[in-house]
Order: sequence, then structure tokens, then C-alpha cells
Amino acid sequence: MLKIENLHVKLEDENREILKGLSLTVKPGEVHAIMGPNGSGKSTLSYVLAGREGYEVTEGSVTYNGEDMLALEPHQRAAKGLFLAFQYPIEIPGVQTMQFLKVAINAQRKARGEKELSIPEFMRFVKERAAKLNISQDMLKRPVNVGFSGGEKKRAEILQMAVLEPSLCVLDETDSGLDIDALKVVSDGVNALRSPERAMIVITHYQRLLEHIVPDFVHVLSGGRIVKSGGKELALELEANGYADYAEKAA
Amino acid sequence: MTTALAKTSAEEALGISLPHRRMEEWRWTDLRARLAKPYAPIESAAKASDIDRLLSTSPFAKLVRHRVVFVNGKFDAGRSKLVGPDFSATVASRHTVEDPLIAMNTSLKPDGVTLRFAGQTAELVEIVHVAVATVQAMAIRNRIEVADGASASVIETFVGEGDYVVNAVTEISVGKGAKLDRLKIEREAAVATHLSHVIYDLGENAKLNDITLTNGSTLNRQNGTCNFHGQYAEAKISGAYLLKGKQHADTALVINHAVPHCVSRELFKIVLDENARGIFQGKVVVARDAQKTDGKQSSHALLLSEYAEFDAKPELEIYADDVVCGHGATAGDINHDHMFYLKSRGIPEAEAKSLLIAAFVGEVFDLVADEAAQAALVEIAAEWLVKT
Amino acid sequence: MADQDTIDLVKTIEVDKYKYGFETDIESELAPKGLDESTVRYISAKKNEPAWMLEWRLEAFRVWKEMIEPTWAKVHYPKIDFQDIHYYAAPKSQAAPKSLDEIDPKLLETYAKLGIPLKEQEILAGVRKQGEKSQLDEDGNEIGQSRVAVDAVFDSVSVVTTFKDELAKAGVIFCSISEALQKHPELVKQYLGSVVPQGDNFYAALNAAVFSDGSFVYVPPGVRCPMELSTYFRMNAKNTGQFERTLIIAEKGTYVSYLEGCTAPMREENQLHAAVVELIALDDAEIKYSTVQNWFPGDAEGKGGIYNFVTKRGDCRGDRAKISWTQVETGSAITWKYPSVILRGESSRGEFYSIAISNGRQQVDSGTKMIHLGKNSSSRIISKGIAAGRSDNTYRGLVSAHRKATNARNFTQCDSLLIGDKCGAHTVPYIESKTSTAQFEHEATTSKISDDQMFYCMSRGLSQEEAVALIVNGFVRDVLQQLPMEFMAETQKLIGISLEGSVG
Repeated sequence: MLKIENLHVKLEDENREILKGLSLTVKPGEVHAIMGPNGSGKSTLSYVLAGREGYEVTEGSVTYNGEDMLALEPHQRAAKGLFLAFQYPIEIPGVQTMQFLKVAINAQRKARGEKELSIPEFMRFVKERAAKLNISQDMLKRPVNVGFSGGEKKRAEILQMAVLEPSLCVLDETDSGLDIDALKVVSDGVNALRSPERAMIVITHYQRLLEHIVPDFVHVLSGGRIVKSGGKELALELEANGYADYAEKAA
Repeated sequence: MTTALAKTSAEEALGISLPHRRMEEWRWTDLRARLAKPYAPIESAAKASDIDRLLSTSPFAKLVRHRVVFVNGKFDAGRSKLVGPDFSATVASRHTVEDPLIAMNTSLKPDGVTLRFAGQTAELVEIVHVAVATVQAMAIRNRIEVADGASASVIETFVGEGDYVVNAVTEISVGKGAKLDRLKIEREAAVATHLSHVIYDLGENAKLNDITLTNGSTLNRQNGTCNFHGQYAEAKISGAYLLKGKQHADTALVINHAVPHCVSRELFKIVLDENARGIFQGKVVVARDAQKTDGKQSSHALLLSEYAEFDAKPELEIYADDVVCGHGATAGDINHDHMFYLKSRGIPEAEAKSLLIAAFVGEVFDLVADEAAQAALVEIAAEWLVKT
Repeated sequence: MADQDTIDLVKTIEVDKYKYGFETDIESELAPKGLDESTVRYISAKKNEPAWMLEWRLEAFRVWKEMIEPTWAKVHYPKIDFQDIHYYAAPKSQAAPKSLDEIDPKLLETYAKLGIPLKEQEILAGVRKQGEKSQLDEDGNEIGQSRVAVDAVFDSVSVVTTFKDELAKAGVIFCSISEALQKHPELVKQYLGSVVPQGDNFYAALNAAVFSDGSFVYVPPGVRCPMELSTYFRMNAKNTGQFERTLIIAEKGTYVSYLEGCTAPMREENQLHAAVVELIALDDAEIKYSTVQNWFPGDAEGKGGIYNFVTKRGDCRGDRAKISWTQVETGSAITWKYPSVILRGESSRGEFYSIAISNGRQQVDSGTKMIHLGKNSSSRIISKGIAAGRSDNTYRGLVSAHRKATNARNFTQCDSLLIGDKCGAHTVPYIESKTSTAQFEHEATTSKISDDQMFYCMSRGLSQEEAVALIVNGFVRDVLQQLPMEFMAETQKLIGISLEGSVG
């Protein structure tokens, strides 16, 4: 499904390489956790996958279902089924959340050659999913992420994921800034979306999220490369011993 | 270094003096250069078919029952329809504000009506100005009076065809505890020049909500003077510009806080494409006695083309110490983070851009109280965006 | 800690005293009153200037005669009689700059009284003995209180420039502009008027015609100036104007920090000060220019005081050049001053940090211009205006981006504080953006010291004046932090003094 090979990425404005030969293969239905210390390149990976400007791929490839993903615009990647849950969701004043969801879902459907949803269909669809995530009608009327609390923002990201039904979800530090209760709501939302067709990449610094979203594979990202891969037990090991061992290896 | 300026052809033809760029308030708008033709005072009437066709282009044509129609600067009683509020077709020119546009208006012998609102008027009243002319100038001076405790909702629409100059002065008086919602839509002909000056006089506890959409004409200059005469009054004066081509729009607003405890809010959202130039000059003056004044002003420009230009002068002149005043001004292109976020959700570039521009000006449209009128504005913006 | 310092400093202040208001009794050589071509020739001859310099001055004078005084600033004053001023005044004993040992002791005493020791031994005394090795940190910078080289300007002439020899070792030229005209005429000729042309404005033209002295700094390529440079301006003689001209050239890859201080005796009549400062920063050069302006502000009734009409402008002529203006304006009856930066180089940077305090009948109209011409240029403006008494305090600024200044950035924050209900605080910013990729952000606020803040401070034992000084120091903190260490404490004290009598 997703194949990242020997990915090298540097910042456009600075001569600093952040990803230094990262490789990863994700198959449908799998949940991969990527763990690593601060500055290891976790967020860069998520942004490069989603196509944010400011990064330059100097070497390597990313293919998605056999197609060169790096050649696509961000919205084309989304239409192909990629979804990034942002670590810091962007606030967009003036654009109502509901309107935003409608435009997004129909744009994607159009790009895939599917029929656009009628307004009642869409409303029903969103309301049902919002209720599961504890998202009020009031929140849906407010501008995208504006004035949302940290927890509300993360829940809104998961709602978008539930509504847009992507085939590959990248969750970038979705647990950051969440208390235990909010973490539970968000994790339940994510788990409800697990399916044999849908893959997930869960990027996190801490193990606690992985107690709720149990991964099939755990990778340690350090110094811009995956330095170790294993099963879910690797996360526990990291929790106990920290990243110190890996930081040295990377250097 | 203060040699007199030679008269321009328009000044000769109209027998007036136009403001020039040596005047501080006119530093960014060269009216003399823009009016480089001998515009003569208009005398001929327009063809009935043209008038009716243009009247129907007002976005409020089907929305309002009450209409006051002006054709080429003259009140058209036959086409006007007004049921309810007391009104008379008299020119009331009480104001002697020293302003070159008002002086020009006076010397062009304006026609006009006074609309008086005595009770609670929920229905919209539209004053629509139709112009069909060729190198001609016209002037209008209307007066809107909302009596103590009364409320009203007025829309002023400007539409037209041809090359002309409109100079419209509107005197507004909102009495004690009275409320006025005013919406102005400037959709003049593409080569026309629109000049206006609105004077707002607010009584104690009065509430004004004034919104202007600037979308037409090649040159637009709109002055405003807002005077607080009684305490605890509130004035919201807002505007949106949707400009492209070589359009040039310049708003110059002065808010005079002469008495304590009043609130003023200015919000201007300026969208500029191609070679358009948008200007916002806002001055808030707080007099020595106007303690507890709360005055905020913001102007934000979105430049869609590298040739667009935005100028601003948000000015504060404050003589009272116990006040909260401030202004903010920003200029820039579309926020890249916003674009990325929308695109990451599958929304293509052009659509994402439209959505963000609509949201940008939407903050001003949201202030329109009447829902149908608000929808009409959203519609105008959507149409404009499609053509962009 | 800093706050406690402020309180302590304020406590030591003697109420209602301009402590620099004394007069030095020294015999002066004066040019006859009035201004015509012969005055210009007189000054040029006194300075033994080359012919081209005289011609340059005369050209400026001819332009000036045709100009009218600007009236757009928010300041009001009786018409200045430009024929009633001496355009040149020099201590008789000090016709030309000499070595320290030859300086009139009265002058040394004057500067000592102002807190500006001119004898290098005295300056060093506080730090280390002469000949003793200085302590250096890892980067080779001196530890502890750094030394400051001073160019002392008394009325129309520079009396002495300290540390010249040591600076010369680093290749830095620091001398009076009169001396530069004799010793480095090619540099002066190349750069003088290249940032502020003769006919730039009324007061700049006047200055170009009659400037009598000022400082000159040249930092050769790649040199980081080894110490802070400074000029101390003192206006002493009666009925004189002070017209100094400063020129600073920072060659590629250099750094220089320059401080400027000014005071004048208390006099009943107004005195004119019309200076011009030109800064040139080439590729990768950085100039940091700080001013503490404390000219006599006039008395509480507005009698006397200096008219401070100054043109200061920097030109970031090279790529990645940086010019930073920091000013603390507490003195002068009228201030008309807009230190500006022309951001010509790619990725060049301009900064303006200002504290302007007005009290009594003072009128301040000050701000900056940031002219973005180069790609990726950026600028930052932080202005803090404090109006008290019956004063008027105006921020006036321009931020503009030329069409070619793609990705230009500006951030402006102008805050005004009013103390009392007889003063005025005004903000007049001009924003001109001619490119869509420029991002401009401007914010302004006006407020007063809240009763809650005052009550809180006073409940902790501060007097009303201490509380005001403390809160004002907090209000201006962002700017204070930009000042060199040597000026920070002085400035905090000055703020307290300037606001005396503003409450109660």
C-alpha cells in the first residue's frame, strides 16, 4: 500500500537534512507506530507524506498503491485516501466547520468520480459520526478549529478522519495535550475506524497512546532513520529504557 | 512651493475645485488625474428600458417592497414605492463639514430625499441609484432620520452604465435609543467614478450598524464622518472591497468621540486582485472629555496578485486617558498554512482559495442583520470569485 | 531585580530637577548671528575644509533658501527666526581638537559632571589598570563592564575623542567629522549625503549648509568593532544652534554599536538642534545605534527647551545588512525625529525600538520609516509612547514595500500610555504594500495605567510615583532590553525623573 524507500529530506530554507534514508512499508489493515525522541524527524515525515511546502526530498521515493505520491499535490493525495491528523490543527477563521467538511468530502468524491452527497445525506452522515466523538452541533457551526480547546481540536481531527474515510491515516502526536478522558474518546474514535482495508501510521513520543491504539508494528525513528523495528512489546521496552540507546546509534 | 494648480478640464466644465494629492487625506488618490475629461453636469434623462433593466440588477430588486429610485441623480417619483414611513422629497443640507467632496456636491446642486423613520420599521427600505451617462456628473444628497426610540433598516444601491461621476452625500441622524442598520452596495459601471460622504450623527444610546460593499467603478472614494452626540452610543462601520482590474477604492473615515462611554468598531476586509489598489484611512479622535471610550479599528488586506497594492493609515488621536483604543492592520497573500490544511483534506487549490477569500470577506457580511440581504452579499462575492 | 533597582533609583531622585541644567562658564568664539552665504563660508573656513566641501555646503544652502518649514507634524511652536541664531560656537580654548592633556580643565569638569569621564585613565579605573591584561571570555570578548570610546561634542566642535589609538589598531576610524575631512576626505566625499541628500528636507538642508561637527566612524571589512563607540553632545552657549552631522560606514561583514547622549543647560529661550545622522551598512554588516536624548525639555510651563529637529537614516546597502535604531526620548521641548532604514539589500533587516516620554508641555512627533526595496527584507518596529502632564506624544511611521521587495516582512507594535487627562497620545502609521508576498502586521493600543495595577503596587508599599515608574518601566521593557547594558540603568532612572509630577 505505502512504500517509503531511502527517503532523504531537507528543509528548503536551510541546509539541514532531517530524514536520512528512511524506509517503511505499510500494508492494508496494519497499524504501525513510529516512536522517537524530539527532533528525530517524526513530524517531518508526516508533513512530507501530506505534501507540505518547505521540505525538499533529495533522494528516495514514496509510492502509494504503486503511484509516485511525491508527484501529487496535497489535495490529490487526500483524494487518493491519505489523511493526516495534525499535531497542531490549523485554525481557519471564517470557515464554518460544517461547510469545510462538506466542501472537502465533495471535492474528494468528485476527484474519485463519485457522486456528490446531497445536503440531507451529508448532514445525517456528519451528525452521526460527530455524536460518537462527543462533538456538539455548536462546535460544527464554529469556524474550523478557532477557539477550540486542545482536546476539541484533536477530536475534530478524528471526526474529519471518520467523515472522509481515508485508506491511510497518519496520526501525528494525536495524544499530545490530551488528558486521560479525552485520550480515551480519541482512541475509541480511531479504533472504530480500524478495518482490514485501512492502514494507520501512529506517530507518538510516548507509549501511553499505544495502550489504547494497539499497533501491529513499532518502529524507532532516530536521527532521521528507522533504527529498530519490532512488535508492540518494543514500545514497552522504550517506555522502560528511554531513547538514549538509540540516540547514540543514530549518531 | 505652493503654486496654485492649473484647473483641469473637469474642474472647468463643472465650475468646481477638486481635491488634490497635496492634501493629506488625498495622498493616495489622484482624483484630478482620474477625472481627466470635461465631465459636464448631467441634464438628459435615461431611456426607460435602460433604467428598468438596471433597476432589476439590484440584488434587492425582489427583496424589498419599499424603494426610493434616483435616475441620473434625480428623484424618480414614478418608479419609487414607499408604504409606511413618512418621507418627503426635500433636500436637507444642514451640514457644513469642511470637505472637498461635500463642497463639490453642493456646487452640483444635488437632488435628494429625506427618509424619516418614526417607529419600529422591520422592513428593508432600498434607495437605488441608477446612472446611465456619458462623461457627465451628478450629485445626490439624501437624509436618513431615525427618530428617538425608532429603528430602521436601509439599503443604498448604486448601479449604472457608462462613464460618469456620482457624488452622493448622505446625512444620517440616529436619535436617542434609536437603531439603524444600513447597507450600501457600490456596483457602479466599470468606468464610472463614485464619490461619497456619509455623515453620521448619533444620539444617546443610539446604535448604528453600517456596512459597505465596494465592488464597482474604476475609482471609488468614500468618506465618512461619525459624530457621537450622546453617551453610550455604539457605531459599527464596516466594509468589504472586492476589486480587480485597475479598480481603485479609498475609504477615509473619521470617528469623533466627543462624549464619554461610546463604542466604535471598524472592520474592513479588502480583497485585491490584478492591478487593483485598495486604501483604508481611518481616524479615531477621542476628545478630552470622552472618557471610557472604547474604539477599535481593523483593516485587513488580501492581495491576490503581485501587482495589487494596499495602503493604510489607521490613525488614533487621543486626548482622554481612561480609554481603550486600538487598531490593527495587516496585508498579505493567502495564508499558506490554511491552504495546506484545506488541500490536505482533499480540497483543490482553486476551491480552497475561493473558500478562504469568501471566509475573509464573510466576516464583514456576517455583520449584516437581515439574513436575505446577507445572502445577497454572499452571492455577489461568489459570483465575483468565479470571474476571478 | 531590575524592578527593585528602579524603585531604588526613583527613591533617590530629587523632585523637579533637570540635573544636567548647569551652565559651564567658558569663553566662546561665536559666528555672528544670522545665516547667509558668508556664514556658510565662515564655518567652512574655520574648519579649513577642502573646496568641494564648501561647494557642497553652498549648494545645500541654496536649496534650503527655497524650502519651507514642514508643518505636517503634530507640533506647535512660534516661528523660528533663523537669523537670530549663532550658527557656530566653539570654546575659545578649544579651537581645534587636541590631545587630552591640552583640553581646558573646565571642559573635562563639565563632562565629568555629566557622568562622562573623558580621561581614559578614569574610564579604565573602574575596570582595570592601564597595561593590565583584560580578562577575555571563550569568544575573546571582554568580561565585565565594557569600555566605551567617546567623541565629546561641545557646542559646535568636537573637543576630544577617546581610545582613538586603540581603535586604530583594529583599523576602525573614530574621530570628529572635521578631522575626517582632513585625514580621510575620500571616504567623506564618497558617503556624505548618500543617505540623506542635501535637499532631503528643510532641516537636513539647513544642517548640510551649516553643520559644524559630529562624529565619523569607518569600520573596515570584516572587523568587529572592539568597543562601544559613543558621542556625547553638549549644548552650552546661548543663542546658538547645534548642527552636528554623524556618518557611520560599516563595511562588509562588520559590527559596530554606537551610543549617543545629549544634554543642554536650562535656559529660558528655545534653542535649535538640527542634526543629521547617516548610516551605511554593506553586505553582512550590522550597525546598532542607540540614543538617549535628554536635551533640556523646558520648564513646567513650557518655557525654554530644545527644538530637536533631527534626520536620521540608515541604508542597508548590502545583502543581509542590519541596522537597528534604539531611542529613548525624554528631553527636548519639541522632538521631530524619524530614524529610518532603507532596506535595499536582499534579506536586509531594519529595527526601530523607541521609548518616547513627554511631560510638562513637551511635544513629541517621532517614529520611523522602513522602506523595503530588497527581497526577503524584514523589519520590526516597537514603539512605546508615554504622555503625561500637558504634553502631546505622536508616533508617526511608514512601512512600505516596493514591488520588487518580495517576501518582505514587517511587524509593528505601537503602544501608548496616557498619564493624566490633560495630555494627548496619537498614532499615525502609514502602510504601503505594493507586493502580495509582503506580510505586514501592525498593531496599536492606547491605554492608561489601571487603577488595579496602581492599587496592587501601592498595597505592596510603593508610593504613587514609584508605582508609576515601576509600571512604566514594565510597559517599556521590550525596548529597554534592546539598550546596551551601560544605558539600561541610566534609562530606567531617566524614566522616573521624566515622569515626576505626572501624578497626584
